[in-house]
Amino acid sequence: MDMGSYIVKRILLAIPLLFVISLITFVLINLSLLDPAVVVLQAQEVPQITDELIAQTNEALGFDKPFVIQYVNWLIACMQFDFGSSYVSGEPVWSLVGPAFLNTLKLTLVSSVFIIGLSILLGVICAMREGRAVDKSVRGLSFVLTAIPSYWLAAILIWYLSVKLDLLPTSGMDSFKSYILPVIVITVSYTGIYFRTVRSSMLSNMNEDYVLYGRASGLSERKVTLHILRNSLQVAVSIFCMAIPIVLGSTVVIENVFAWPGLGRLSVRSILNRDFPIIQAYVLILAVTFVLFNTISDVINAAMNPRLRKDL
Amino acid sequence: MLMRLLRNLSKDKLAMTSLAVIVIIVAAGIFAPWCAPHDPEEVNMKLRYASSSWGYWLGNDHLGRCVLSRLIYGIRPSVLWVLVALMMSVLLGAIVGFIAGYFKGKTDAWIMRVCDVMLSFPGYVMTLAVVGILGAGLEHILIAFVVMKWAWFARVIRTSVMQFSEMEYVKFAKASGIGSFRIITKHIVPVTFADVAVIASGSMCSMMLQISGLSFLGLGIQAPHAEWGMMLNEAREVMFSRPELMLAPGLAIVIVVSAFNFLSDALQIALNPKLMTSKGKLRKKEVGKTVYEYSRG
Amino acid sequence: MKKGSAFGLILLLLSVITVLAGCGQEEGTKKESANSEVKSELIYASAKDINDMNPHLYTGSMPAQGMVYESLVENTVDGIKPLLAESWDIAEDGKTYTFYLRQDVKFHDGEPFNAEAVKQNIDAVQANAEKHAWIKLSTKIVSTKVMDEYTFELVLSEPYYPALVELSMTRPYVFISPKDFTNGGTKDGVSGYHGTGPYKLIAHKIDENATFEANEDYWGGAPEIQKITSKVLPAGETTLLALQKGEINFVFTDDRGADSIDVEAMNQLADSGDFQVVRSEAMNTNMIVANSSKMDNPVHETAVREAIWVAIDRETISNDIFNGTQTVADTLFSSNVNYAHVELKKREYNPETAKELLEKAGWTLTNGKAVRTKNGQQLALTLYYDSNSSSQKTQAELIQHALKGLGIQLEIVGEESTSIANRRATGEYDLLFNQTWGLAYDPQSTISAFTSDSAYKHTTSGLTQAEELYKKIDEVMVSTDDASRQLLYADIMRIVHDEAVFIPITNGRVTVVAPKNLDGISFKQTQYELPFEQMNFK
Repeated sequence: MDMGSYIVKRILLAIPLLFVISLITFVLINLSLLDPAVVVLQAQEVPQITDELIAQTNEALGFDKPFVIQYVNWLIACMQFDFGSSYVSGEPVWSLVGPAFLNTLKLTLVSSVFIIGLSILLGVICAMREGRAVDKSVRGLSFVLTAIPSYWLAAILIWYLSVKLDLLPTSGMDSFKSYILPVIVITVSYTGIYFRTVRSSMLSNMNEDYVLYGRASGLSERKVTLHILRNSLQVAVSIFCMAIPIVLGSTVVIENVFAWPGLGRLSVRSILNRDFPIIQAYVLILAVTFVLFNTISDVINAAMNPRLRKDL
Repeated sequence: MLMRLLRNLSKDKLAMTSLAVIVIIVAAGIFAPWCAPHDPEEVNMKLRYASSSWGYWLGNDHLGRCVLSRLIYGIRPSVLWVLVALMMSVLLGAIVGFIAGYFKGKTDAWIMRVCDVMLSFPGYVMTLAVVGILGAGLEHILIAFVVMKWAWFARVIRTSVMQFSEMEYVKFAKASGIGSFRIITKHIVPVTFADVAVIASGSMCSMMLQISGLSFLGLGIQAPHAEWGMMLNEAREVMFSRPELMLAPGLAIVIVVSAFNFLSDALQIALNPKLMTSKGKLRKKEVGKTVYEYSRG
Repeated sequence: MKKGSAFGLILLLLSVITVLAGCGQEEGTKKESANSEVKSELIYASAKDINDMNPHLYTGSMPAQGMVYESLVENTVDGIKPLLAESWDIAEDGKTYTFYLRQDVKFHDGEPFNAEAVKQNIDAVQANAEKHAWIKLSTKIVSTKVMDEYTFELVLSEPYYPALVELSMTRPYVFISPKDFTNGGTKDGVSGYHGTGPYKLIAHKIDENATFEANEDYWGGAPEIQKITSKVLPAGETTLLALQKGEINFVFTDDRGADSIDVEAMNQLADSGDFQVVRSEAMNTNMIVANSSKMDNPVHETAVREAIWVAIDRETISNDIFNGTQTVADTLFSSNVNYAHVELKKREYNPETAKELLEKAGWTLTNGKAVRTKNGQQLALTLYYDSNSSSQKTQAELIQHALKGLGIQLEIVGEESTSIANRRATGEYDLLFNQTWGLAYDPQSTISAFTSDSAYKHTTSGLTQAEELYKKIDEVMVSTDDASRQLLYADIMRIVHDEAVFIPITNGRVTVVAPKNLDGISFKQTQYELPFEQMNFK
């Protein structure tokens, strides 16, 4: 199978998945036992809710229509980036979610650069020194670091770097300085996980036949290492592709601690306010990002390893 | 296989220490009424924010309750209930995985499609969504965990089952007319156990961190029950006037999660000493994928 | 590759941090001197975004709306005073109000403020009357009329004594430039936020900050503080840190009555010498509301409610949980509330009395049991608290423990404030935390909420005297005679006090943490806004 048709097939496979995801997202929100009109009115903090008001709201928002029609309408609107209006402020959901998504994306991308860089560095070092003190201590350290609750680490760093030493802002997103603390916390949390992936992929490559063959045929140790590195990074690339949506989806606590105006904070606040259209958009957008990156990761993998193309 | 695993494991000091820590913590949690020096919900406003003393080793919290006792009782939701949720998702995943791997064909294709859909939802996001819809509470988070995690186990177990059901002795058993159920329990369960153990101990870490994170955000367990994330949330209020209150529950989380981390790693090595056998390859691909799921709290 | 390169990396990182730390400290001192130059700016922390500033809806931040918009009249300690209306007449029949407007007022966009603008605004509010059902005035307005350029007439369907008070509230009867209307009204949103107030909204970054600038053309004279910024920060330690670092310089009790920083930390700040802590007089009452209409639940019984009342140690709550910043409340309304000078039976904290009350009511403790029973029913109740309020949670835990000692099993559940409001409206609760509306609104708003389905209908409808109570409330609202109002209010307060459906705990106050050199910090009659225009730096 050539690469082009693989990509087309892979994308075609993703489309029904996206439909199912959208349906689940929609059903999930509608599972809530609360009367959506009451939720809307409460979210708007209307001090007194009357029956007429509920009926009026139901009609205005189309909650009185059959389920399937509601779903189809919602789906069509979503494809045009129209996720409805926030129950709370009445503003279009996209005008709230869009900028927040961008802010979270910025944080995620900056963090990912560090995670990937450090993971490769540490992964290679440890694989080269497998079983030695460096390897053992870095790995041990990584287990402890990944075990630290991120908010706890964040609190300690804020206390030390921002308050005691007065180096960095405590919260917000004002300048590049604001990035430093959240990026450190995210990097510490994830590098421990991804560096192990690089390491084990290096190790398994070291045992491959081509390495033995290369060595046997007198290639210099440096060239062999480069070979191993190249092959290992192929595996790593696809895993890093997946790291981005995962970090994107799990900055919730960090954003709340650092008052980062991103998706995580928006979603927690929406959960607390029961602002369902935003929760819906949040779940949908992240799930789609997930699928998207999953697809990209598979495509990259297939490009590097033709054998995988047959799996489809 | 199981024996080899244990034998390999027993050589690793760090793994044994980790296992010991986990066993002690779990025991302390189960026998909390006997281990804890005080009633964890006993309020005594005279001891509000008292520092550590002979009667109260770790001091007292904002209601004058014994921090040590709360820490011990906190093991139940923070560790034990997470373990229960984990077991439930393993069980669910195992049943589905066995069905898919053993019967293959259309059943398998359908189940794997469902798994794909489940796996395409980012775990943390879905946990948040479930909490958002059902409301805050430990049980809702646990439900979300079971719902979100089973697919991982189903996939891994299916792969193992497929591999092993191709093996000679299973084929032989089939041919000699032994029932499917017996084959599964007798021959396939033991060999897949190891894979499941690796992923389960890894998942355990992420689940514990997530629970504590959600409790920290106030979406978790309800007062007055003690839970580590909740204790941290309570301590957060006075984080700068009384930082010592952040210490004990924070360290407890770090220690237990580290122990599971080390154990998971040791299991992986014990399972596969060179991290390389020809039949280990396929399995490793699946196990490796769980890294994706390691989203954190 | 060297053996210790990973450690080397960490060491390098640490040393970089230390070096940076050195520079940072120097910079810190420079920054401080820079700070003192920019004196005329206040940056306050807010847990929520200012949100939709449309003054005729309810999602916007009240302190922010209070800066931008104004009402016709103002509610002060000395009663109703002129604001945008210089004076007014009330006709003999108590139904027709004529307002004579100030003539020197302009909206922030330059539009004139006149009778036409007043009419358009009030009509816009009335066009969405369902949303304003809580404010009884909205159900009584019959017509609005422009008499001449600066004279406006409002006609009600019947006399309604709190009319002026309700017109003075932060919302909805405040004025936005008619140019900002969409579709001729405000219920579908507005295109701008131009009010007449001392501050203009000049910038808003959702979930980050909102900036207000002094209105140089303000009819009451330009305010001294040039710029006010509302910065969104999570409550608690983040706010405290930002305050310590000078990222913000002003904090006050938010409009939900939750103090965002710990009392002790606040005192530490005051001791440091850079900050002052200012507290208002008692503004409202924090209380536990009991659902008297839940017939099959113990909470339906007066004796049980009274027992809970005397079992709560208010002194400890006031002293230990609030460090004395909130005072003990013995009645639903503190005595500085209008009409609240009423002799009521005092219920002191006494667990023994509580036990007697329960025994007398037939709730007995059989040997070896932890929970009292009566006819096989357990004395078990549930108390809901706002999960965002750490003090409510602490109080709930304390009360839970106190009641346990009496043989009452109290389950406590933390929920979002919207969810608690929902329970209050649907009656799905035994006990829940709530607060009275505040000085400017009380007693009439809290008391008229007794009859409101979404508020305290379930709390009051189970009382044997419910009919009588509701009749008196209807009467007091249309009564035109002050003396009879006093009597009616006294009766109303006595009924709910004797029945113990509103269990008072503490009187809440507004707390402000501000730079030491900020002068003119005062309060309004409501916990929802602050008079920023009166503040200035020494």
